[in-house]
Amino acid sequence: MTGPPTDVTVRVEDVHVYYRVYEDPRAGLKQNFSQGRVRRQFSIIEAVRGVTLDLHESETLGLIGANGSGKSTLLAAMTGLLPLKSGTIRGRSRPSLLGVSSALRPALSGRRNILIGGLALGFTRAEIEGRMDEIIDFAGLRDAIDRPMRTYSSGMRARLNFAIATARIPEILLIDEALAVGDEDFRVRSAKRIDEVRAAAGSVVLVSHNMAEIERSCHRAAWLDDGVLRAVGEPGEVVPAYLASYSSGRSRSSG
Amino acid sequence: MDDATSARRLVDLTAPPSTGAYLREVWRRREFAVVVPAQDLRAQNMDTALGQLWHLLNPALLVGVYFFIFGVLLDTRRGVDNFLGFLIVGIVLFHLTQRVVQDAAVCMVRNMGLIRSIQFPRILLPLATVNGQTLAFLPALAVALLAILATGERPSLRWLLVLAVLAAVYVFNVGAALLVARIGASVRDLERLLPHLMRLLFYGSGVIFSVEAFVTSEAWRRVFALNPVYDLITCARWCLLGTGVDRSVVIGLVAWCAVLPVAGFIAFRSAERRFGS
Repeated sequence: MTGPPTDVTVRVEDVHVYYRVYEDPRAGLKQNFSQGRVRRQFSIIEAVRGVTLDLHESETLGLIGANGSGKSTLLAAMTGLLPLKSGTIRGRSRPSLLGVSSALRPALSGRRNILIGGLALGFTRAEIEGRMDEIIDFAGLRDAIDRPMRTYSSGMRARLNFAIATARIPEILLIDEALAVGDEDFRVRSAKRIDEVRAAAGSVVLVSHNMAEIERSCHRAAWLDDGVLRAVGEPGEVVPAYLASYSSGRSRSSG
Repeated sequence: MDDATSARRLVDLTAPPSTGAYLREVWRRREFAVVVPAQDLRAQNMDTALGQLWHLLNPALLVGVYFFIFGVLLDTRRGVDNFLGFLIVGIVLFHLTQRVVQDAAVCMVRNMGLIRSIQFPRILLPLATVNGQTLAFLPALAVALLAILATGERPSLRWLLVLAVLAAVYVFNVGAALLVARIGASVRDLERLLPHLMRLLFYGSGVIFSVEAFVTSEAWRRVFALNPVYDLITCARWCLLGTGVDRSVVIGLVAWCAVLPVAGFIAFRSAERRFGS
């Protein structure tokens, strides 16, 4: 364990997360009946298998691994969105996953979407209206804010999403590949906002496939492989080890 | 010991909140369940030529069609003085509950993206469904009341009691929505089955005929009194049209409104953490 134990913000202990996936049966109805199978078949996906990890104050942890290695599942479990099969997750406060795009309505204007997204994140209407101008300016959408969101470019949508999602800076922020949005100017401003989280003694977990970004902005890196932590430590050591596993062909091509 | 102090400050993030904490969080976020469906209603009819008028036209056309078929062609008017008023109350109220139930059946599936990415009390989703349909129903209610006046009814003090019936409708709809949302989230087949169940409920609620005039068996009338939608419609008709109401109907209504929301809440909350999977 690195760092003195007093500055732990989230403690993940021996966490297992499984879920069910219903299969698309290859056999036809007739075969199923002849085999006496009436209920649909499902398999258990063991997405996260025994992960133990601490997050500390003022640190950014990079979470890396192949597609399907359990990164997003682990983040979802940390927010309390997924039930655990076993293990515990404790924290100073509930981590929040950056992003609100699933709440937004393409048919409605940017302004109305700020209201809807803000309510989904737990703001009151008065709080959102108090921050409305600030959010619009941060997203850089002053001219387009009363147009339906479906007329926005994907970059504009991503900026709106980020601006709403970070209207209140949480103590523990989880980011699932969200930083590669917008133009250079917006990228600088969003990076600054994430620095604010750390400045307030919070923690950031960043899931990314951009290894340069992990090495640049993370204090530690954690490598998740098929639901198991393979290595945790200096990004300068973990990232090369992860990349080497590809060239040696040991890692699964997909999972 | 440092470790002990830090461990004390960490709270279990995966433990479900107590019922009290859960309800407080629902109350804190109540605006979500009102503002979001209101915005969705606005988006719904934005690309139709008649726009928001459809919220009025839909029930008006329904009443027109049923009046022609059942009132004029088949003459189910038997035993009803003001058949048009009778139809209006039945259809408008049935329509509301039907929309609530059908929308609630898909509300968890439709909001899966939201459920999988943001932590909030899931009960807000069926509540938003009920609120949205109730908001859409208000203009229809205004038109229905005007139409009933046009059929020659005169308002009396009894009309005020319709507010109590509408409150009961809301409470019943909340309970029904919670239960249906819970089942619809895990049994997707419910969505296919519901139109047929709703049709059965439609004929079993005396929307387009008078149960008192058509059903002579005392035992069968008891069965009708067990149907909450029949109870709601019958009580509303008593308020607005002065048609008969049996005591068993009032008791049935009160019982449903007391039991269903509690049962719905318990059923919904027991599945709270499974909705995303």
